[in-house]
Amino acid sequence: MDVLNNLVAGFQTALTFKNIYLCFIGCLWGTVVGILPGIGPLAGIALLIPATFGMDATGAIIMLAGIYYGAMYGGSTTSILMNIPGESASVVSCLEGYQMTRKGRGGAALFIAAWGSWIGGTLGIAGLMFLAPLLANQAVKFGPPEMFALLLIAFILLGSLGKGSFFRTAPMILLGLLIGTVGMDQLTGTMRFTHGIKELYDGIGFIPVAMGVFGIGEILSSVEESLVRQAHRVRFRELLPSREELRASWGPIFRGTGLGFFIGLLPGSAHVLASFLSYTLEKRLSRKPQEFGTGRIEGVAGPETANNAASESAMIPFLGLGIPTGPAPAVMMIALLIHGVRPGPLFISEQPQVFWGLVASMYIGNVILIILNLPLVGLFINLLRVPFRILFPVILLVCLVGTYAVNSSVVELIILLVSGVLGYLFRKFDFDIAPFILAMIIGPTIEMTFRQSLMRSGGSFSIFWASPISLALFALSGVLLLWNVYRALRPKRASWEKVLEEGT
Amino acid sequence: MEKKIRVACVLVAIVLACAGVSFAADYPTKAITLINPQAPGGTLDIQARAFASVAEKILGQPVVVVNKTGATGMVGGLAGAQAAPDGYTLTVGSVNIPNALEWEIANGRKPAFTRHDFAGIGTFTMSPTLLIVPMDSPYKTLADFVAAAKAKPGQLAFSSGGLYGMSHLPAEIFGKAAGLKFRHVPYGGGGPSLTAVVGNQVDFSVNYPANTIPLLRGNKLRALAVIGAKRLKSVPEVPSVKELGIDAEYYGWVGLLAPVKTPKPIVDKLREVTKTVVQSKAFVDMIEEPGDEVNYMGGEELMKYMDAESAKIAALYADMVKEGAK
Repeated sequence: MDVLNNLVAGFQTALTFKNIYLCFIGCLWGTVVGILPGIGPLAGIALLIPATFGMDATGAIIMLAGIYYGAMYGGSTTSILMNIPGESASVVSCLEGYQMTRKGRGGAALFIAAWGSWIGGTLGIAGLMFLAPLLANQAVKFGPPEMFALLLIAFILLGSLGKGSFFRTAPMILLGLLIGTVGMDQLTGTMRFTHGIKELYDGIGFIPVAMGVFGIGEILSSVEESLVRQAHRVRFRELLPSREELRASWGPIFRGTGLGFFIGLLPGSAHVLASFLSYTLEKRLSRKPQEFGTGRIEGVAGPETANNAASESAMIPFLGLGIPTGPAPAVMMIALLIHGVRPGPLFISEQPQVFWGLVASMYIGNVILIILNLPLVGLFINLLRVPFRILFPVILLVCLVGTYAVNSSVVELIILLVSGVLGYLFRKFDFDIAPFILAMIIGPTIEMTFRQSLMRSGGSFSIFWASPISLALFALSGVLLLWNVYRALRPKRASWEKVLEEGT
Repeated sequence: MEKKIRVACVLVAIVLACAGVSFAADYPTKAITLINPQAPGGTLDIQARAFASVAEKILGQPVVVVNKTGATGMVGGLAGAQAAPDGYTLTVGSVNIPNALEWEIANGRKPAFTRHDFAGIGTFTMSPTLLIVPMDSPYKTLADFVAAAKAKPGQLAFSSGGLYGMSHLPAEIFGKAAGLKFRHVPYGGGGPSLTAVVGNQVDFSVNYPANTIPLLRGNKLRALAVIGAKRLKSVPEVPSVKELGIDAEYYGWVGLLAPVKTPKPIVDKLREVTKTVVQSKAFVDMIEEPGDEVNYMGGEELMKYMDAESAKIAALYADMVKEGAK
């Protein structure tokens, strides 16, 4: 009952005209930074901090949080329509979403993405509201050995992310891992493959690479196909998902919520990992995994839900303990501090009006976002009617500006363009892009957590089975590995029976 | 025609010359950018944004904080050192800048810039770190801790925000002064390092008051000592290591730097404004509310302090590199 009373008080704070207005502005701006490639929620929040100086702490955090979860809605738009990830968590939506657009189902993909985002977001807030103090204390116990065990599972799943043969997937994984090693080794300070270029000290950024291989690579290969590729007119009824598509989305949406909420609690850029894991999970569970890559709605519904749920639960360590686990919550924390509110373990009990006002505003914000985003689906889909010879240069320009705007770095522009050419070659030679990107994301973290664990234990491997969590995760990865081996070795019906059938 | 152009040129030159003279008096006439070489959300970011919010009102021009991260602050530092010396692009400096440069030198690399490329404007804070342990740690006092570390040399592990950074060095300096050896586990940033000690993933850690004290107040951490000469106002019950007979000090200053060629009148004006801001109630409240302390040091003093500190740090790094090579 306590929670409900607090929530009622929270709604009293959040439902004032001023706070609804701020929530709306935050959500709108969040959608915009989500849509614009390159600029993510982090830059979006940092840009608007000065605008909050005149507000009270509650209003400020309501607006800034709106940007954060709003960006998760907006990010899917360009991924689905143009194969350009608008935001790091939406990279995975390129895989199925863009294929759906090519089949004329882009509207349905956008619709499901918004709908899944709403469910993931709303359930995520409920989790945040009931479990924040409890989960915050548990989340900090998830150290390097546990993280390593989790990433090992992700790594085993990587193999199944590709479309087909081992020889088309394995080189891509290796290339992704190799690119992930560039930069200064955080644990010893050794430079790897930096060649004295200062911009490479922090490694090769994942956003420019993803924008390059997906977006620019797509543009290059489309140009080759035909400049006059005709986009067909989309009728309003085609914007809505069909009954089968809706039915196929329910499972991924709820699984994505659970998975995203859990992963969001972990340190680092959790929503990227959450969306990728959700995608591989759906592919695993699907009865037709071979159809993934050709525009399955499950591959949009799951990840888009997961990144929203993750964005809500990523706020738990920050609100419950005052320790931000990702960069965006860290900036929100500063904003609160400038307004004289210090998040910490006592934040929820000492500043209930701020915390509950924020929670209530997040429910309102998610409603605002779905109202904002569904009509936009119709608007954005019209972009596809623009002739490609006009659209492509514009997309290219937006990619370049977006990349440059983040760090004003010319080196990143070069990375973007080189990745674009790479992406084109990958397409030409029919290599899989998804395993490449995911290997690049998890490679550095898996290496770091492995070495951190061993540094902690002084070189003893026993640290990996010291905690029940990591032990369970290792057991799971063992099972997955054995299952993979079994599947590879079991006699294939198709191979000899087909021959027999054809022979008779 | 040619004559007209010549006259115009002279006029332009005169106007420009006048602008040069009135430059300092009018300064600032447009927005000032503060380059923060570290990620949004860190200690520097908090202080820089707090500074910006007060300085805007005094200067009458927007003060914008821009995060230019990379290479543990080298990318932003380089941008700040090479910025136009007109007072419109300043660098949020910290002890990390001279330290990162010394680290490059200790490893036989030539840094792209040096601390002599900057003119000091003034500091916001110069805080010591606290030695912190998880709540369920067996160590209740520094004496317990030192005894345990002596009994198990090289086995107690501590987390830091990154190799040779602001939260690694104090632990090294403390260990050297007390004759103790520890295991170092670097994490990617101050936040993850704090998480590690709150979650009992490591035995102890060192961190700055602004990050630590809210967690002490919420009983998520225990502080054993201040690694410095004096106790902190916000946690007077925590003794300093000096009181306990260990001669270790390290202060993570945060402040403003300008490119060294910035005209003297502008530097003077910035120094004066910084002093006013740092001593204003609004700024002091923002810094001291979470438990930190404002500590202003003038620009020239800061440069001298950096010289003295860098010599010490260089010696420490030389040792660390030697040990690492073993």
